[in-house]
Parts: sequence; structure tokens; C-alpha cells
Amino acid sequence: MAKVLKINKGVEEGVKEVLKFLLENERVKGVFTLRKTGKNGAVTYALIKDPSEIDNCVPLYPLMPINAAKSLSTLTLREPLSESLALFVRPCELRAFVELVKLQQGSLENMLILSSTCGGVYPLKMAVTNNTDRNLEKYWTSLRAIETPSDIRPTCKGCEHFLPYNSDMTLVSIGKDIDKSCHVVLNTKKAEESLRGIEEEISDGELAAEDMESLRKRRISEREKLFSDLKTEDFGLDGLIDLHGKCIGCHGCSSVCPICYCRLCFFDSEVNEPGFSSYEGEMRKRGGIRVPPKTIFYHLGRLSHVGISCVGCGSCSDVCPVNIPLSTIFLKIGNAIQGTYGYLPGKDLDEKIPLQTFEEEELAKFEQ
Amino acid sequence: MKEEFVPKIIGFVCSWCSSAGADVAGSAQLNVPSSFVPISVMCSSRVDPTLILAAFLRGADGVLVAGCRPRDCHYENGNYYARRRFALVKNIIKSLGLEPERLRLSWIHGSEGQRFADVVTQFAEHVKGLGPNPARKRIDL
Amino acid sequence: MTKGAVIPKKGTTEKAILDFIKEAWEKNCFDSLLIPVEIPSGDSYTYLLIQDPSLIENASPLPPITSVQGARAISSITRKGKVTKRIAAIMRPCEIKAGMELHKLEQADLENVVLISVDCPGALPLSDYVPDSKTGKEKFLKVLKEWGGESVRPVCKTCLHFGAELGDLHIAILGDENSIYLIPNSDKGKEMLRSLGISAEENLPGWDTKISEIKKKKEENKKKSEEQLESEVLGLDRLLETFSKCIGCHNCMRACPICYCASCYFDSDNTEHDGTDYVDRAENKGALKFPCDTLFFHLGRMSHMSLSCLGCGSCEDACPMSIPVAQLFSFVGQKNQELFGYFPGMDKEEKVPLVVYKEKEFEEFEDSH
Repeated sequence: MAKVLKINKGVEEGVKEVLKFLLENERVKGVFTLRKTGKNGAVTYALIKDPSEIDNCVPLYPLMPINAAKSLSTLTLREPLSESLALFVRPCELRAFVELVKLQQGSLENMLILSSTCGGVYPLKMAVTNNTDRNLEKYWTSLRAIETPSDIRPTCKGCEHFLPYNSDMTLVSIGKDIDKSCHVVLNTKKAEESLRGIEEEISDGELAAEDMESLRKRRISEREKLFSDLKTEDFGLDGLIDLHGKCIGCHGCSSVCPICYCRLCFFDSEVNEPGFSSYEGEMRKRGGIRVPPKTIFYHLGRLSHVGISCVGCGSCSDVCPVNIPLSTIFLKIGNAIQGTYGYLPGKDLDEKIPLQTFEEEELAKFEQ
Repeated sequence: MKEEFVPKIIGFVCSWCSSAGADVAGSAQLNVPSSFVPISVMCSSRVDPTLILAAFLRGADGVLVAGCRPRDCHYENGNYYARRRFALVKNIIKSLGLEPERLRLSWIHGSEGQRFADVVTQFAEHVKGLGPNPARKRIDL
Repeated sequence: MTKGAVIPKKGTTEKAILDFIKEAWEKNCFDSLLIPVEIPSGDSYTYLLIQDPSLIENASPLPPITSVQGARAISSITRKGKVTKRIAAIMRPCEIKAGMELHKLEQADLENVVLISVDCPGALPLSDYVPDSKTGKEKFLKVLKEWGGESVRPVCKTCLHFGAELGDLHIAILGDENSIYLIPNSDKGKEMLRSLGISAEENLPGWDTKISEIKKKKEENKKKSEEQLESEVLGLDRLLETFSKCIGCHNCMRACPICYCASCYFDSDNTEHDGTDYVDRAENKGALKFPCDTLFFHLGRMSHMSLSCLGCGSCEDACPMSIPVAQLFSFVGQKNQELFGYFPGMDKEEKVPLVVYKEKEFEEFEDSH
């Protein structure tokens, strides 16, 4: 039986109280969570040192301006944190960061990890039109009804991994009393230790498994619908070109993807640069060639590089200036790649990424 | 009691003339404000606009670029390029309504120890009048 | 008084331009053509480098949008390796200008390229056109009729180079309902017309008048837009507010034709710090936003490319958060260009300002007593 911290406040106020307690009592030296910036509803992650700044935080705001894994990697790429940090991030961000740690792009040392039962986030365009605030009420109503809010990112709608793996604490942010009552499941001894002396009730308890399971089933069926609506198996070359034809080669998808960590992407490097003789050759063969070329090569290539670790956060679709449904494609095919090995990215820190390891006897069906 | 504002000045100082000027100032024990942080560069033309911007946005109250006088550059013409780059970055800061008076370009000869001390002191006085750089405290920079 | 060739139209303006291109191609004025072509799904355009003239069927010399900035296309083709065939490139004036800048920056080789520009009424924002290209096409017909209007991109509304004489040959579509004009701007352009037996000696007063009329209107727009910028965006607080939604995707930098670095300084090791640096900064300020150094990226990018900024608007088209980057960058770009007396994209033999100097200049910036 786990321990559960119960605070008689709404979930957002409750988790802020926890973060403030941790920082004020120096159980951690910093807090990393979403914070309001500017006057027009912009929200970004922030590393917070002054406890009073937590008043400006909105840990559960349904927006993901950047996948937090990228920022955590920025903080810990060269060296692990030298002082403790409490972070509040979404389950997929946590999974992405665990993948990055496996790829030696960061470290989990000295982190006290808080996450939540994730209700999903809205596409960034909603922030552009300043509509996120207006949708907040609907959002929370859905979460109280243990339903998936409409209009959230497609990959969120179909996400069955909304319970965090590897968190020290899990905030229950879905359930009928979340506006009055904040439950935080303490998954580790570290979590319990950090809250020593908090003037709130800590008792035995657990997540409401039935509620979560029924939501999970609904998410799985949403995902199946999402995947079947985009019939990638029927694409063929024409279908691929139809979908990716409007790509402007900005590579924003690669830039925001937490798994894409290469400083100089192969697809931007000299090795991949065509040069005039290449153009000439292609023109002779085909009569004409798109400029810049190799658009499909870039997308399929990137898929082959990151698909194995794709957590379906949806940042790529959001950043695309021409609305190519990249996250659905990457999640669908990523899932298929991961399924070959029964691999779930970011779940188990000790499990190697399948392309970094091998068995002597395996994948016989691919051998001929 | 309010703490007196001591402006922090980052100085990109070329190794040949300006540093020599700084040495002369030092050996003659002339007064140079202690809040002046010199960063040695081989030539003033090493100063990419982004170095000035980084110092400014990190919160330096003043950014000084010091190089050899025109015609005296150890590399012949580095300081001419430096002047152009400086003009560019100062104009960007000005066009955006930020504070261009926090940036200064000064030519200082190797033997001009007094001038070195004077430039830094005067610039520090000038920057003190501007108050602390608001960029320093901004969380959302 | 501008002089050129008057070519009567036998159908639409677009057909007249394509007919001229076809004729020039048949008569061996060039080997391959770089031109925007509608993509199979019909919701956007892409540049195609074609050798087979039949592929010109779905081509559009003046598409409703600019998806990839034409200069990036020119650079992709000519930057690496010797260009052994003659290429005719037809695109918007701002794309031609960017191509000239890239030539100066050694990122494009224009020796074997004939640059053909077209009078431009502006382009629609990419995010408006792509989701509903049917409506987009209708909007653009209106844009052509009104020569501009409300639906074009903000930077297009203030662009003064819509009919500029740049590149090698300019195709004018304003001034006369029944003809297009061909205006040669260089020896290459003159040679092309000469080889086609087309005389370019006719006066084009109708065009000159129309251009100066539209320029006046644009100049008014420009003044208004600058006033708006000054009151809404300038100053530290307002700048930070403007960029508060920036997610650091760097799409603007990637879409920009002038930003040619394969690995941008702001994505490199130079701008990556030890964890303790971020923690210290957070300590000093109470908190530090992530990703940080947002303003540093934008101001730094300005310092690297603003002297060559053409105000083409590709950056703003690519921004997923609708931040008015093109308006801001072209504003600062112009201020810098005025300071240096430099007009990007006009003369490909002119060096960019930061690689040259005068012994006496910018005295107002130096302190030398």
C-alpha cells in the first residue's frame, strides 16, 4: 500500500503548496514547473529559486510550449545537477527524458520527480489565439467527469500512458473531487522523506484503479480510431507525397522533438547536401526535381532515427507551419517499431533502447 | 538603508593596445573602478555582436569595447571591422528601444594609462546615472 | 522613363508569362527552369527545377504563397559544385534580392543563372492558404485585382520593391490590361531578348505611373506600421511581451534565406552552458524561464543577418506562434541598412557592409578624444 498526501484544496493549489513546502524547507534547492509569463496568457517552464515565484506558477496548465525533457537535458547535459531540484512535468515528458538519459543527453541525479495523471494538453495554436484560458473551465469539467477533454492534441486523446512511470510523486488530477481535494500518491521513500513535517494528512491509500482503467480503455479506443483514420498502410509513394508535399523543409519538427538531440542533424549536414551535379543527374532521370529535394527522405529518415523512442508528445505537429499530422504518423509507426521489441520508451531506465543492443538469435522473420 | 548602486561593466579589451593601457594604469596605480570586469580578446575585431548582446542581456550595466586606435591595430585593420560591428549592434539596441547608452566603443593606445583609467571611470559614472540594467532581473529574457 | 518590350496577352497574365518562358526555352535561352509548381495535393506550391518543358503545365510564375523562399532554392542548386547548365529562375522580387545577397555571401553562384522577377502584389500568409486553398486562390485573385489589400502578409503591405528593377529580366504585369512588359535589367537580360528578336525600346509610362502610385500608398502603410511597432513592440518590457510566446523552435531562422549556416551559432556548443550557470541565473533573478535566452537568439540573429534582410516575410510564415517576427526584423533591418547606406539585393558585385570599411566613418560611435 502506498502513502497518499491529502490536501483540502483544488489540485493546482494543492500541488503549488507541495512545491512551495519543498522549496521553503530546503528539501530541494529549486523547482521546475510551468509559469505564467507576460500578460497575454503565455506560459513557459521556469527554474524557480524564490519560493514566492511559485505563486506565479501554473503547474497543470494544459499547454506544452516545449517538451520539458529538452530543458531538463539542457540543465544536465554536461553534468548532473549539483543540487536537488523538484520538477513537475507530464508523463510523456518524463518518458522522453528517461530516453534522453539512456542516450547520455542528461541525468536524473538529484531530481525529485512529480508528475500527474495527465488529462492532455491543447495544441499551441490555442495559445496563439488566446483561447486556452477560455477553454480552461471545459477542460477541468472533463477531468472531473473522468473524460478526455475535446480539442486536446490528437496524440493526447489517444494516449494510454497517462499514468507516469518513474515519478516520486503522482498527483491525481483526474477525478470527481479534484476541485476540492488534492491527492498526491507518494511512490518512493524519497518522496515521503521530502514531505517530512508537512502539516497535511498522509495516510495509506492508492490511485483509484477502476477510474484510471476505464479512462485507459477509452484512450486506447481513441488511439485506434486516430491510427485507423490515417491509413498509413495505404499511403504508398503517392500518399506520402500527398501528405508531405507541402513541407517547407523548416525542420521545426526535428527542432522541437525531445528525442532529436543531434546538434547538427544529418539531414542538414554537408553529407546530405545535393550539389549541382546531383540536381543534374536527377533532372536527367526524372525530367525535373523538387527544390530543396529529399523531403520524403528527411521525414522517413527522421522516423527511422527517433521512431524507436517516440513518446507521442505531439510537439512536432504543433510546430509544423503547414499542419502535417506528423505526431500521428510518428506515434503510429513508432509504436509499430517499438512493438517489434515489446519496448515502451521511457518506462524502464535500465532497459536499453533496442537499437543499442541485440540478441544473438532474434528477428528471424527479417532474415532471408 | 538602500545599497548604493555599483555598476557592473564588462570590457572587451584587446590584448595589444588596450590591455597595455590597462597595465600602465595598473602600474601607475591609477584608479579604475573595481566593478570593471576586463575580458581579454586578441583584437577588438574578435568581438562578435553576439558577445556584446550576451553581456548586455545577461545584465551588464555597461559594455565597453576597447581597441587600438585606427592605424594602430596590431593586425592592421581589425579595429575598422570592429567599429562596423559595434555600430551595427548599437543600432539594433537603439532601434528596439533598449538602452544604447550602455554600450561604448573606445580607442585606447598602449601608452595611454591615464586615458584607460579615465575611460573606464567616466563610463562607470555615465552608466551609474542610467541605473541598473533592467535585463538583469528579468526572468523571461 | 522605363523602357521595355510590350507583349500582347492572348489569355490570362499567367499564360502570357508562361508562353514567353516556353518560347525562350524552345529558342535555347536556357537549359532548365526553376519555377513554382502546384503540388499534387493542391494545397501548396513547391519549386521545381525542370528540364522537361511538359512539366510547366502546373507551374505558376506568381503563386498565391511563397512556401520555400526562392533564394533557398537557388542556393541549394548552385552552392555546391560547378553549375554547368544555364538555369532560368522566375520568382518574386524579394526572392531575387535574397538570391543576390546569397551570391555575395558565397552561398549561391549566379553566373549561370538568369533571374526573372515579376511584379508582386504580395503573398498570402501560409497558414491562411494551406488549410483552405480553394478560398485561398479566390482571395489571391482579389489580391491581384486590388494589387494588395487586407489579406496579404503584413510585410507585403509595406514592401516598396514589388516592381523593382533587379535581377536580369523583369516581367511587368501592372499598367496595361492587355499586355505584359519585359524589362531587361542586365546584359544577360538584354541578350535574352535580343536572341529572341524582341526589341525592348518602348516607353512604358503606364507602368511607371502605376508603380509610383502604389509606392505612395505603400509608403503610407509603412509609416503607420512603424508607428504601431514603436508603440507596441519597442522597449524591453514590450519586446519581452512580444516574444513571451516564443517556444524557441527556430523555424524563423530555418525559413530565412539569409540564415545559411548549417549549424546555427545559437544551436551550437557556444550557447550551451553548464547546469550551474542556469541555476546561478535563476538564483539571481528568483526564477529563470526555459528555454532561456530567447531575446538573445532574436537579437543575435538580427545582428548576424539584418543588414541583408529583405523583409520577405518567410520567417513570420514559419512561426507557429504568430509572432510578428518579419515586421520586427525588417524594421530593424532597414534601420541598420540606412545607417550603413546599404541596399541589400541590388548589386551582386557590391560587398556586404561588414567585410569592408573606411578609415574615417561612424565617428558618432567611437570615443577617441
